[in-house]
Amino acid sequence: MSAVAERRPAVARRSHASSPTGHSLTHPPRQGVLLVLPALAFVVVFVLVPLVFAVYMSLTNWPLIGSYRFIGFDNYVAVAKDPVFWKSVGYTVLYTAIVTLPILVLGYVLAVVVRSNRRGSTFFRTVFFLPYVIGLTTLSFILILEAQPGSGAVNIILKALGITDGTTAWLADGPLATGLIIVMIVWAVSGLTMVLLMGGMQGISRDVYESAEIDGASWWQRERQITIPLLRPTIGMSLVISVIGSLLAFTQFYVLTRGGPGTDTQTVVLYIYQRGFVQLQLGAASALSIVLVVVIGLVTAVQFRLLREKA
Amino acid sequence: MELHRRNVLGLGGLAALAALLPSCASALPEADVGAAGFGEGATGTVRLWCRAATVVGVRQVVDAFNASQDRLTVEVTPVLDAQYVTKLATAIRGGNVPDIVDIDDINSMLFIYRDSFTDLTPLVQQLDFVDRINPGQLRLAVRDERNYGVPYIADASALFYNTELFQRVGIDPAVATKDFDGILAAARAIGALDEKTYGWSVDGNAAGILGFVVQPHIWAAKAPNVVGEVGAQRGSLADNDAVRRTFQLYQTMWKEELMPKTNFSGDGSRWGADFRDGTVGMLPANFSVAALNATPEMRAKTGVVLLPGPAGGRATFAGGDNLCIPRGAANASGAWEFARFALDLPQQTNLPAGGYIPVRSDAATPEYRSTFPLAVTPLEQNAAAYAPVTLAYNLLFNQQDSPWIGSFRRAVFDGDLDGALDQGQDDFDRILEQAQL
Amino acid sequence: MTTIPSTAVPAAPAPSRRRAPHVGTRGAARTESRGKVTLYVVGGTLAALVFLVPLIWSVLRSFQSNDAIVASSPSVSALSKLTTANFSALFTGDADIARAVGNSLVVAVGTAVLTAVLATLAGYGFGRFSFRGGKVLFGLIVVTMMVPFQAIITPLYLQMNAMGLTNSRLGLVLFYSTVNLPFGVFVMRNAFESIPAEIEDSARVDGAGTMRSLVSVLRPLLVPGIATSALYAFLASWTEFLGALTFLTDDRLYTLPLSLVNLQAGAYGAVNFGYLVAGAVVAMIPCVILYVALQRFYVAGLASGAVKG
Repeated sequence: MSAVAERRPAVARRSHASSPTGHSLTHPPRQGVLLVLPALAFVVVFVLVPLVFAVYMSLTNWPLIGSYRFIGFDNYVAVAKDPVFWKSVGYTVLYTAIVTLPILVLGYVLAVVVRSNRRGSTFFRTVFFLPYVIGLTTLSFILILEAQPGSGAVNIILKALGITDGTTAWLADGPLATGLIIVMIVWAVSGLTMVLLMGGMQGISRDVYESAEIDGASWWQRERQITIPLLRPTIGMSLVISVIGSLLAFTQFYVLTRGGPGTDTQTVVLYIYQRGFVQLQLGAASALSIVLVVVIGLVTAVQFRLLREKA
Repeated sequence: MELHRRNVLGLGGLAALAALLPSCASALPEADVGAAGFGEGATGTVRLWCRAATVVGVRQVVDAFNASQDRLTVEVTPVLDAQYVTKLATAIRGGNVPDIVDIDDINSMLFIYRDSFTDLTPLVQQLDFVDRINPGQLRLAVRDERNYGVPYIADASALFYNTELFQRVGIDPAVATKDFDGILAAARAIGALDEKTYGWSVDGNAAGILGFVVQPHIWAAKAPNVVGEVGAQRGSLADNDAVRRTFQLYQTMWKEELMPKTNFSGDGSRWGADFRDGTVGMLPANFSVAALNATPEMRAKTGVVLLPGPAGGRATFAGGDNLCIPRGAANASGAWEFARFALDLPQQTNLPAGGYIPVRSDAATPEYRSTFPLAVTPLEQNAAAYAPVTLAYNLLFNQQDSPWIGSFRRAVFDGDLDGALDQGQDDFDRILEQAQL
Repeated sequence: MTTIPSTAVPAAPAPSRRRAPHVGTRGAARTESRGKVTLYVVGGTLAALVFLVPLIWSVLRSFQSNDAIVASSPSVSALSKLTTANFSALFTGDADIARAVGNSLVVAVGTAVLTAVLATLAGYGFGRFSFRGGKVLFGLIVVTMMVPFQAIITPLYLQMNAMGLTNSRLGLVLFYSTVNLPFGVFVMRNAFESIPAEIEDSARVDGAGTMRSLVSVLRPLLVPGIATSALYAFLASWTEFLGALTFLTDDRLYTLPLSLVNLQAGAYGAVNFGYLVAGAVVAMIPCVILYVALQRFYVAGLASGAVKG
């Protein structure tokens, strides 16, 4: 992201006094190292070590219980041949593809509404962000109720509107459940996009807009020529967060469908959990996880590259 | 200077890693079941995990046990079926295991294969009724000829028939249910009686049920669909004549509309309702579904035999639960005392009241016969009970997208017998290969 | 609210609304068409309804009995038969939601505190001290944000087991803190960098050492950033599910989301939707309260994170 590369105009100047070696006297480097050491230790122990361990485990047949043996790349070969894995990949990618744009668009619209600093915009901002704060887990549990055939709110509303007869068992059918989950996610996550974009919008100076207005540009033209280009880094980051979140989706699927019916709504992370903790094959799950990490890294890198190149 | 620190951090991490590895492979210590006094006179608490599905029956036995003596108290923790394997595995991994587990017998091998359960061989062999215990169930907890568990409730599949309907078409059910020709003839005759009467009924969209009632046909012909030693198994469908003929029988019955239309989507939630209403000639099911929940009038005109093979033979699914003592159990001695109690005749003979069958055939006492007539055949003939011993049972048969239900539906409802068998063979082989990595 | 000295860049973790330039601000309001205002009011209100109504509806539902919820032909009169039975059953019955809430609180607060402390220290170190490898190490911490914990949960489980940290709330706190650290360090580093050197220098001149100056002098300026990291960590761990599911096996240690899963599967008897939605409402309340109370920190923290990219 270009924003990261540029250093802000130096506000916090380092202290002037320095020792003969050039080190700051008031901020000795050693103290700096000591300060960052705890956080670093946590990250090393709880993220980097397991990551290395995961690579090792993926080359074994490590069962959750019992002894293990080294099997080389057998796990990876099995992954390549595993139709259930590829089905979950396809499903996850499809889900991500469908859900990303609406989240961005809705988030943008909401940001436009609340950035204006009129009366009530704080209230709106609070309300729009509320579902995200409550969290996908809790929202999913609530959705279980409302997706029930006959008695759930979703069906009541559809029946009242005359669209269906109100007996749809949303969670018992793959496409229907997916559609419902997508609606819920867009509703809940757009608030996050809104907040991210809003911050970026507030950083754009008023003068640019005023001169455009004087030149006779319409609202939409102003958005397109000014806001969006200037907002590109922020939009980019928002997209990255959203895409990664969708590719790693687990909670809402576990709670609402457990990946069912069959494996129709099984995402990749759900499948990893299934292989590791239900089928007790941690070696295979690790191989799947490594593949996942690589893919996420690639997708993110591609996204950054694309956003940078857009003229 | 700082780079050194980073190196140190990295090395420290790797050292921690190396230190972890050995500790990951050891099994928990086993109780000495051969010690004198084991299983007698124990005191304290016994922690029992049971399947949520069996909690009512288990609680009855536990209450009786707690009331019968005051040295031991059994505490029951029900665990949801869907979480059972995971929860037990993580408990074993964490070294914090219950004293005794009531585990679905088809899941037993999953843990036995990984050295998680106590070797109970001397205790089991010393039981005076050991030769009358359901061999199919017992076998599911045997490895290298050692017993790692003991069955205590049985859930056997059988063929229930409506004697009144058979009378009306003038066929002798004992003869008709001997082989597939007889079944087909009877089904045709009964189906022809009128619009609303059917010869046969099975919920065709319930994976667990299809594994439970369709498989015994092939076992009666001694041709199981999973062959080989645990750890080196493969499927047997495309080359299996019994499977082919079984699917063919069902295909024919479906095509000739001898089965109700609801069978297509039946998911088990209303299993057996049509038989209990008297509109079905033959229903493969278990005691709980066919008899326990039926009216006395319906029960009076119900008969039961074991499921036949294509050309004869009889078999039943050795379903039910085993009691196993995890390694590392705190009170293994007390746990075995409870297991003995659960196997005693007074407890066993009362099981059908809760929908289960006893595991010892000598429970078929005269009172048992008169109280639960429909629970006698599966018990008396429990020598014919079988279930595949495999690490992948759930993946192969119980899950909604498993290959058994997949090939069944393809052969029976889509009419593609050859395709179903080939696809099933591939899926079985792949799943077994994965599970045995 | 603390005023930031005028040399500070406006986009620091709690920008005063008066400072930050906005699009279409009051300057232009005089010339704003009534059309735009109407659009804003109508559109905003409709949207607010869409966001609020489902939540309010759920709260209502939690006061309905299970039978009323599953009634296949619901009537408006059902709304009048409200009861607190769900909540009393949850708190006094088998489900023992109070314990789950307690567990969740312990874990979430623990995570918030630990994250805030670690992030502040590291933010200070990265933001104000220069040492060789500083940039690299900071990059390392931020890059781990890219490693999805879902992918390392498998080996992490075995590792935590060996360290004796599975099936313990402490283990969960350590895990959640690590997951929330990168964002926290990011925010805190920005916070420190926004503080002019003069303030710290004058404290040093007065004789304060590093820790003293950190605590007494800089703290008031850091509160927004600390609040952001802590609040974010709290909310993230309050509803976290996969980690809790994997690392906790003892029912008595279950956090709220796991209790809700049990409720959903009918572990305490047949599935009771009333209990389920009541449990969900219980889970919602602390989030909403904390958020509304501290939202200016939270929103600003995320927004400033976005600007700084």
